[in-house]
Amino acid sequence: MTNGAPIHIKPEQAISEAAALGEKIARGVALFSKLHDDDVAIATTPKDEVWRQDKVSLYHYRPLADKKVATPVLIVYGLIGRYTMADLQEDRSLVRNLLNLGIDLYVVDWGNPSRADRWLTLDDYIDGYLADCVEAIRERHGIDKVSLLGICEGGVFTTCYAALHPQTVKSMVLTITPIDFHGDTVENRLGHGFINLWTRSLTPEDVDRLIEAYGNLPGEFMGSVFSQMTPMRTLLKYNLDLLEVVDDDKKFLNFLRMEKWIADRPHHPGEAAKQWLKDLYQDNKLINGTFTINGQTVNLCNITMPVLNVFAKDDHIIPPATSQALGAHVGTKDYSELALPGGHVGVFVGGKSQALLGSGIVKWLEERS
Amino acid sequence: MPFEYMKAMAELWGRGGQDFAAAQQNFFANMAKAVGQESPSGVPRAGVFDPQSLTQANQAFAKLWSSAIEISQTISRNMQAGESQNPVVAQLLGKIFDPRAWFSGTDGMDQALQQMAEGPRLADVWDTERKMLTLFNAWTALRRRSLEHNTVMLEAWLQAAGKFAKDLNEKADRKEALGSWREVLALWVDTANSTLLETQRSETYLKSQREILKASTDLRLAQQEMAAFYSEMFGYPTREELDDVHRAMTELRREVRKLQRASRDVQKKEMPSAKAPRARKGRV
Repeated sequence: MTNGAPIHIKPEQAISEAAALGEKIARGVALFSKLHDDDVAIATTPKDEVWRQDKVSLYHYRPLADKKVATPVLIVYGLIGRYTMADLQEDRSLVRNLLNLGIDLYVVDWGNPSRADRWLTLDDYIDGYLADCVEAIRERHGIDKVSLLGICEGGVFTTCYAALHPQTVKSMVLTITPIDFHGDTVENRLGHGFINLWTRSLTPEDVDRLIEAYGNLPGEFMGSVFSQMTPMRTLLKYNLDLLEVVDDDKKFLNFLRMEKWIADRPHHPGEAAKQWLKDLYQDNKLINGTFTINGQTVNLCNITMPVLNVFAKDDHIIPPATSQALGAHVGTKDYSELALPGGHVGVFVGGKSQALLGSGIVKWLEERS
Repeated sequence: MPFEYMKAMAELWGRGGQDFAAAQQNFFANMAKAVGQESPSGVPRAGVFDPQSLTQANQAFAKLWSSAIEISQTISRNMQAGESQNPVVAQLLGKIFDPRAWFSGTDGMDQALQQMAEGPRLADVWDTERKMLTLFNAWTALRRRSLEHNTVMLEAWLQAAGKFAKDLNEKADRKEALGSWREVLALWVDTANSTLLETQRSETYLKSQREILKASTDLRLAQQEMAAFYSEMFGYPTREELDDVHRAMTELRREVRKLQRASRDVQKKEMPSAKAPRARKGRV
């Protein structure tokens, strides 16, 4: 059958495949020509700005159901990427899932830092802006404590804040959050933890000079580092992957919305980036108990409120062990973990995971309400 | 290892092996020479323009490149053999098997850095020879580091191509020939992905990435020095002066925040019942 040849493509089959490909491309071109901006709008859940300082805004989401948990929850995303990932589209939105299940929800938007924001530090973000957001919510509701929901780098912000100001935090939910920045070596899976490895291959002086040259950690720079983590996916994304979905309206629009979120990558303020890369990724100060904010040491054992730590079992950016390390260091006995299928972003937008995530968080909060 | 993938490719296509060996030998010999000549910082010293290292990196890359591109074209041609030629499919396959994609797709950081570093065009600076030469040398260093990194990637591509050929040969021996270009692609993607991920963890890859980062930073700083020279000449604020202003602004904002908090704390002490809900809108 094979005549010893390793590839034996039948002409009639190849012609048929090529024709099908041609039809797909034609349908895709037709669909593209009909698209408007509104078709790929993201983060559309209605919300109102309730507080603003410099470039930072605090939004309050309008309720979609009767309140089931009394304490409001503040979503805190990081400075790498944007919070809109939690509200990508109506049927793939952690925000909507939480609102539909009766959570009173806030989100902080860090805005678009520019070179002028070079000197902002993690101290400013955690003990300044975030602390003021929490204070604003406490005052609006006349309460002592709020609940925090940190995502990725935002999870590190909430962890540090909760350790420094435990008296103002009712409970803390972390999602895909690195705590032990050298935890990538635990499993050492191929293709996982490249950012950890790459950052450790640099010297502290390399990082300092990078920030001196650009003033910040450019968004496109971090984007290219992320692309390197899934090399073949990156290569095939705009040809084979796109062709797979181009003739399916729903899948095609989902693809474009995700691309829109990926393209919206703000710059990371320079001084804060130095702390992120050197103090945390290189020196692992958070887990070592030597990380300081405004001169105060961040002691994880000060985290005495209930903690839910959510991680993705196949997260190649934040390997599970880097998140799970928190359990051994917090000062609360009410520490739980929720392991979800999928990868870093898949937890929020994947079919199964995003449903489990919303309901899992609400169930956990209700039990502690 | 190089011998194994050369052998696999030779078995599959019946040619190419000797070219790889020669190209790689030259590459490593030239790299050794180039490394021996570099200055401690990796950037040629101002006023001592040394194009030799760039030329050597360029030659090493070119030799390896000619072998790789020949294999790439052969793979694409063979997958489109006979009557099944179709321009759309041919273009798609050509792109997927093109080693250049490994530079643009996986070497995005290099591209992003170069684009950022080359932002301002300084075409009218030829009268400031010393600064210009520093700038030019930094540019040369970045080109050289980029070529060296692409050579590492090309080496990885050849390794993946060799593994791909070996797998195909073994399938043929077992009478399991692939009957669809999608099946062939799936095998290539799988092979290429694991090779790329292995490569990224290697010391060689991480070192060349770091060298590109350093070279692009040096270029950017050299450009800023030129820009500052002209800014001062024509009375415009320099980057450093703007950074100082921004720093002062950030520090002032911190002070304001601190004062606002202190004032809030005083108010709370004076009005212990301040827990009642009230509208607060910060500085909206």
